[in-house]
Amino acid sequence: MNLAGIIFSNLYDERFGVLTHKRTVASLPFGGRYRFVDFVLSNMSNSGITSVGIITKHNYNSLMDHLGSSAEWDLNRKNGGVHLLAPFSTGMSYVYQGKLEALYSAFAFLEKTPEDYVVLSDSTILCNIDYGEALEEHIASGKDVTVIAKRAAKNPNVNYELIVDMAKDGTVTDVTVDYPAMRDGAMVSMGMYIMEKKLLLSAVKESVCKGRHLLERDFIQEGFYHNGLTLNVHEFTKHVIRNDSVASYFANNLALIRDEALRRDLFDRSRPIYTKVRDEVPSYYSEHSSTKDCLVADGCRIHGDLEGSVLFRDVYVGSGTVIKNSIIMQGTVIGKGCHIENAILDKNVTVSDGVRLIGAPSAPCIVEKGESV
Amino acid sequence: MVLTEETAKPAVAFGGKYRIIDFPLSNCVNSGIDTVGILTQYQPLELNAYVGTGRPWGLNRNFGGAHILPPYAKSNKSEWYKGTANAVYQNIPFIENYAPEYVLILSGDHIYKMDYSKMLDYHKKKGSDCTIAVLEVPLSEASRFGIMNTNEDGSIFEFEEKPKHPKSTKASMGIYIFSWSVLREYLMRDEEDPTSSNDFGKNVIPALLADGKQVFAYPFEGYWKDVGTIQSLWEANMDLLDPKSGLNLRDQKHKIYARNYAQPSSYIANGSTIKNSYVAEGCTVRGYVENSIISTACVIEEGVTVLNSVIMPNTTVKKGSTVKFAILGENATVGRNVHIGGEKEYYAEDAWGIAVIGKGKEIPDNATVAPGEII
Repeated sequence: MNLAGIIFSNLYDERFGVLTHKRTVASLPFGGRYRFVDFVLSNMSNSGITSVGIITKHNYNSLMDHLGSSAEWDLNRKNGGVHLLAPFSTGMSYVYQGKLEALYSAFAFLEKTPEDYVVLSDSTILCNIDYGEALEEHIASGKDVTVIAKRAAKNPNVNYELIVDMAKDGTVTDVTVDYPAMRDGAMVSMGMYIMEKKLLLSAVKESVCKGRHLLERDFIQEGFYHNGLTLNVHEFTKHVIRNDSVASYFANNLALIRDEALRRDLFDRSRPIYTKVRDEVPSYYSEHSSTKDCLVADGCRIHGDLEGSVLFRDVYVGSGTVIKNSIIMQGTVIGKGCHIENAILDKNVTVSDGVRLIGAPSAPCIVEKGESV
Repeated sequence: MVLTEETAKPAVAFGGKYRIIDFPLSNCVNSGIDTVGILTQYQPLELNAYVGTGRPWGLNRNFGGAHILPPYAKSNKSEWYKGTANAVYQNIPFIENYAPEYVLILSGDHIYKMDYSKMLDYHKKKGSDCTIAVLEVPLSEASRFGIMNTNEDGSIFEFEEKPKHPKSTKASMGIYIFSWSVLREYLMRDEEDPTSSNDFGKNVIPALLADGKQVFAYPFEGYWKDVGTIQSLWEANMDLLDPKSGLNLRDQKHKIYARNYAQPSSYIANGSTIKNSYVAEGCTVRGYVENSIISTACVIEEGVTVLNSVIMPNTTVKKGSTVKFAILGENATVGRNVHIGGEKEYYAEDAWGIAVIGKGKEIPDNATVAPGEII
């Protein structure tokens, strides 16, 4: 595959509040046994990409721990493989502000990789995509940059990083940044871009000189309007999960339970999503437990009543405890007779017997990693 | 056994996400052993694919690691493995490669957790030539096993294979530690004897005893089960659900590792009931499941009852079917309104048994599979 991959792991950290206090956004747990980064990394691996750079900024311990040798994604390669790219700094403790600037730390990596094309991807947008198909389309289009996009419904409340308007023949007519979708069917970027490596390297070099940071505004929009940059749009038609806030993250996890078509799409058996193997035993459901409408990973011991919740690996639920509409992350232990509703319990949380934790669907009650209640 | 028609026994699924071979392999790794040869005669393909580079067990090593050793053609003669001892004999060059002081010989179809390093300490301490792990069994069952008759110091003076009138209750677990120089010599001698059936239990151990070599019994306490029959395979699976059985896979210090197939979390639907059961990842459960093991990527549809059964990976049970006291092999499909097996109390003693659906079999709608029937 003549395509290298670049993943941004730290962008949008601030949007996820306490959930990203101790981790990068890329290592946010999702869907019972995954981290955000698993989706983009598995997509790259399943598309035949063998050189992947992951751009980091800070708090990347949990990410490094998760990735290990990258063998789970089949990316422990002699040539290529996964490279964790720490911020490029020249003695000053200055770190990047936008994607374009962040790419400066991937400069050496990109120069060295033999691939001619590169796909850039965020880690917060989850889907099951074949980048090979998108690359073929990009090359056939003869355009400079391919924006991978998905049509979105009109919604004045969410700002999208990049929206492209097209004429009937597919020619891009307008490029909008940081603006809501003002009509149904607007083509919204999925934060995934394919271009020639040469073009990206020159753009990064130039933007650093000129003090520009933002990929969408300073390179794509600016290029389109002022520098003759040509754009192709690759429309992705399968399900896409956009996580841009704690509320959407919470809703998306719960949507995964209810939407069977979404699960089938995302966990396409021919293109599996890989994650770190933890060698847990299968989950045990006791005599008096009840589980309704839940996603449950391995290693759990369930003695209570669960409804509409996502249980990550190795969760313990005591008898008489009721859990509704909640996300319970790996290794969390919940005692007897608790009531937990509309909550996110981060990793390794301990909840004592009889505790009540009740949030609202739009503002879930969050307990930070490792805390005791 | 029907489940192994296409599968070498060690590759048979167990406990929801494991294969039988995961137990000896994980035991080795957890005991600090990093070089393992797996002797296999039949259908090596699946075992080969499963073990691969040995990475799931941490056995992908620069030196040593996991090796599948099927019989191979040599320049002057080629032959199948004639017996357990002959299989090791044919792989003397493999062992010599690593120049070990001690060699541990294990069986691939036993379910147990054991720290072999403790057994090796015992072997060294006793100055033993060969140490055999033994388990105390009830006297009434002793005639089913190879029984070790020992002196007070633990040394074995007699070995009896399935004795009618057992003199001791120390049953061999088929786990041997040999000092390599001794084993090498006896393998050579055994090979030269045309009357030998080239078996460790029948030939090699008796030969050592006859020569007055130091053979010791190492007492093991804990769960151990030979899963060589349908009944025992089913029982061992059920033992996972019995806290008193002593089979605990949850122990973080002694995990059992398995190859992982990247399945998503299991979906447990509204309207399902799961009681005293294990469900692995990648499943969809919409029916009633009690006292059962549901393995990776199975589908249990609405109106299905699964009772005291083992459903192996990738198997689907369609609407309205009942599965009781049964083992469903991997990749099987059970149609709608099928009845498989039944409760013991409704059948005559000799008419009841565990019903078995073989690997990859498709059972048509409305079919009935009687208890004890094997398809």
